[in-house]
Amino acid sequence: MARRAIVSLAAAALALAQTLGDNTAASQADVTRDGPPELLVSRQLLEAQHLSVGEVVSISADPKGDQPQPFRIAGVYEPLPDPMRLGALRHEVRLHLPDLVSLTSSADSVDAINVALPDPATAAAFAREVAPRLPGMMVRSTSAPDEAQRAATFIVLDRFHLAIAIVTVIGSSVFLLALTLMLVDERRETVGILRLIGFRRRRILLYMLAEGVVLAGTGAITGVVLAALLQGGVNRFFQWRYDTALLFVRVTPGVVARSIAMSVPLGVLASIASSWTLLRHEAISLSRR
Amino acid sequence: MSTATRSLAFAARSLLRQPGRAGVGILGIAAVGALLFDMLLLSRGLVVSFRELLDSVGFDVRILSSDSLPMGGARLANASQIARDLAALPEVAEAIPIRVIDAEAVPAVGFALMAIDGDFRAGRAGRAGRDGGYEGSEGLVINQRLADALKVKAGDTIRVRVSCVSGRAPLPPSPFPVAGVGEFPFDDGAQLTASTSWARLRSACGGEGDDADMLLVASREGHGADAAVRAIRRARPDLHPATNEEIVARMQQGSFSYFRQISAVLSTITLLFGFLLITVLLTVSVNQRLAEIAAVRALGFSRGRVAADVLWQSALLVGSGGLLAVPLGFALSLWLDRILKAMPGVPTSIHFFVFEPRALALHATLLVVTALAAAMYPIRLVAALPIAETLRNEVV
Amino acid sequence: MIDGRALTKTFPMVAGPVHALRGVSLTIAAGEYLAVRGPSGCGKSTLLHILGCVDTPTSGTLEFEGRAIEALPDAERSRLRLLAIGFVFQRFFLLPMLTAAENIEVPQAEAGVGRVERRRRTAELLDYVGLAHRADHRPAQLSGGEAQRVAIARALANRPRLLLADEPTGELDRATGEQIAALIDRVNADGTAVVVVTHDAAIAERARRTLLMRDGTLEL
Repeated sequence: MARRAIVSLAAAALALAQTLGDNTAASQADVTRDGPPELLVSRQLLEAQHLSVGEVVSISADPKGDQPQPFRIAGVYEPLPDPMRLGALRHEVRLHLPDLVSLTSSADSVDAINVALPDPATAAAFAREVAPRLPGMMVRSTSAPDEAQRAATFIVLDRFHLAIAIVTVIGSSVFLLALTLMLVDERRETVGILRLIGFRRRRILLYMLAEGVVLAGTGAITGVVLAALLQGGVNRFFQWRYDTALLFVRVTPGVVARSIAMSVPLGVLASIASSWTLLRHEAISLSRR
Repeated sequence: MSTATRSLAFAARSLLRQPGRAGVGILGIAAVGALLFDMLLLSRGLVVSFRELLDSVGFDVRILSSDSLPMGGARLANASQIARDLAALPEVAEAIPIRVIDAEAVPAVGFALMAIDGDFRAGRAGRAGRDGGYEGSEGLVINQRLADALKVKAGDTIRVRVSCVSGRAPLPPSPFPVAGVGEFPFDDGAQLTASTSWARLRSACGGEGDDADMLLVASREGHGADAAVRAIRRARPDLHPATNEEIVARMQQGSFSYFRQISAVLSTITLLFGFLLITVLLTVSVNQRLAEIAAVRALGFSRGRVAADVLWQSALLVGSGGLLAVPLGFALSLWLDRILKAMPGVPTSIHFFVFEPRALALHATLLVVTALAAAMYPIRLVAALPIAETLRNEVV
Repeated sequence: MIDGRALTKTFPMVAGPVHALRGVSLTIAAGEYLAVRGPSGCGKSTLLHILGCVDTPTSGTLEFEGRAIEALPDAERSRLRLLAIGFVFQRFFLLPMLTAAENIEVPQAEAGVGRVERRRRTAELLDYVGLAHRADHRPAQLSGGEAQRVAIARALANRPRLLLADEPTGELDRATGEQIAALIDRVNADGTAVVVVTHDAAIAERARRTLLMRDGTLEL
């Protein structure tokens, strides 16, 4: 079974190959020979400390700042938007692994070795197989618990948002019922006259049903368009507020379909319910002032 | 009967002539009012609950290595000496280092091992001993989930491998007697946690490991947390003390901010919704009764009188709905709280929705403002109603 | 009691101004019974509204018991309507959610009359209009004639010096209209000045003085 090992450190060397790319890797040898080693800074750190690309900064692994080493800022990167770190200050730097080892004097040791398997489902079995061969090391499957844990937060938030949405839909339905009751009430006399002429209840109900479908459908589509127009503003506000590239609102085809599937039947039901409160009366009582 | 009472009675009768409409209006306000109430509870719920949790442990100051959140920064070296230095300050009653490391019970049950020093009573600092309390210093107090996972009880011995230093291989397992099964207030619903004494952990680490994640400090009675913090800063400027209040403020800036934001957004939406509902209800009601309003104006009702009628109708609708909203909101908050508490990493003793009288007062105030605002347009309609023209139009 | 001089009322319309009243002058004495007749659209209802302080003239002066009306603020004009003037409308305009008795109590409550006195006065008025047995009935349960009688009782609730009736029999059949006209006669006989606007000659004949209106002016 082929295995591919990716060495990663905490945040500092994360995605080194992805970030620096082949070109940077190719020029790495030149840089380390001539001048201080390079690092990348996060956009947030660059702005907060008023740094600029090309500037030489001192980095220390000690909170008191002991034994700093100079590094040249080779570039800026946008930290991967991480919902789990919303609100956190993304003041980060990325170093080449040898530089980090040198900085932290960790003597060619790392905190962890991440192993990516062709089939992640075999992670637990792989851990059990490898553990006895690496005495004194902890070998653990990271996909199940951690990923599930990461997803669990969003599953919980998803449920929370759904609960809020349910309450909002209930409130909106009541509002809708109030509106349709008023609309129907305004037609009281007209309906009474139609009934006196000879229109059957079902005929009038069908008419109101058709009207309800048109109103509910138009309302639903208007709501979706409004949401689509607003999502840009909402995202921009929260991206500014949290200084992140995360998207907070996404109006997807699925969301549109669900919204329409919920709102149109609710609108039609409200229309029918309010119409029935009128049609159950006798015609003569409807047409009296 | 005073003018206000007359107006109120008249407004009630006006609403009752359309009971369906009034009922729906009240229900609508109740639904959005419940959500508004919950959002007001949520806006400070985490802050209040977290503060209570911090205070309940019995320490009002925490010493960190930087101005970050607890357990988030580098460790404090020579923690035992720091604790002795701080305990000598007149403003400090007690100072205890605390450290949490990864451990593994053989065969392969990982858990968080908390080392905490000092002579403390069972029940403080997360070491509540349900099995009669912890007396000795050699064993572990484990939580129920860990006891269930390992199928052990007090008196049993487990073999534990600890990772004393990051970057170094964990040491071979050593035996730890289980001294008791307790509750740790900062545990979430899935956490496996155990605690032992500082000395026992150092022994398990071969005499090393005098680094603490933080120090817990209790201020001396009569001095207070702020005085303790000032004294610590004077004595040890290299340390970063923070009162519980400051810790909570940092959490508010970071982790809690999402809930504050959503609380603000949903509160605004619910108020807008309530405002629209009542405005529409009252405006349609007024438009349907223009001739009647013109007639009572012709009979001698003043502008203020008919405006008061509309205002009272708004107050009755919003007031009745608002009253219903409180018990509804309580019930809803229990449901929402249960949903959110399932989030990993959230201590089980934390609540997202916490009742405070100020939330109720703010709820009432916001509803009053909504009732007033919603009545403005229909009031304008009735106050500006041209009596003669309306009567003429009615005949035509 | 009422002295109106050169009253005009112009309604600005998109198609051009409408001169509903053109320099109408009239006086009404206390206890007088006056009918104003004229074809539809001649301005009789406009005149009634101005006399009843429901509307203000574009120009001209109106005095009610010596007080200039056009200068009064709305609150005082409302007070005047409540205490000194009673209105009866063609379409009754009873409050549908209140009973007959409660409709009659409304203006009294607004004038600050105590509950005991209100109840007594209401019973007296219901007797006066012959509807004591319908006190607890709502307007929807009353016939047209009964509703108009309740409206007259309501207009008399605060003992006004002047009763204004705008086509009081307009929605009623002849027989019922006769009953209403007889009731109005009685109100006048008891000392209240009455001004009735009507296009019905039979009703107008019962008044002691009739004014004819045409195109916003009075024909004497």
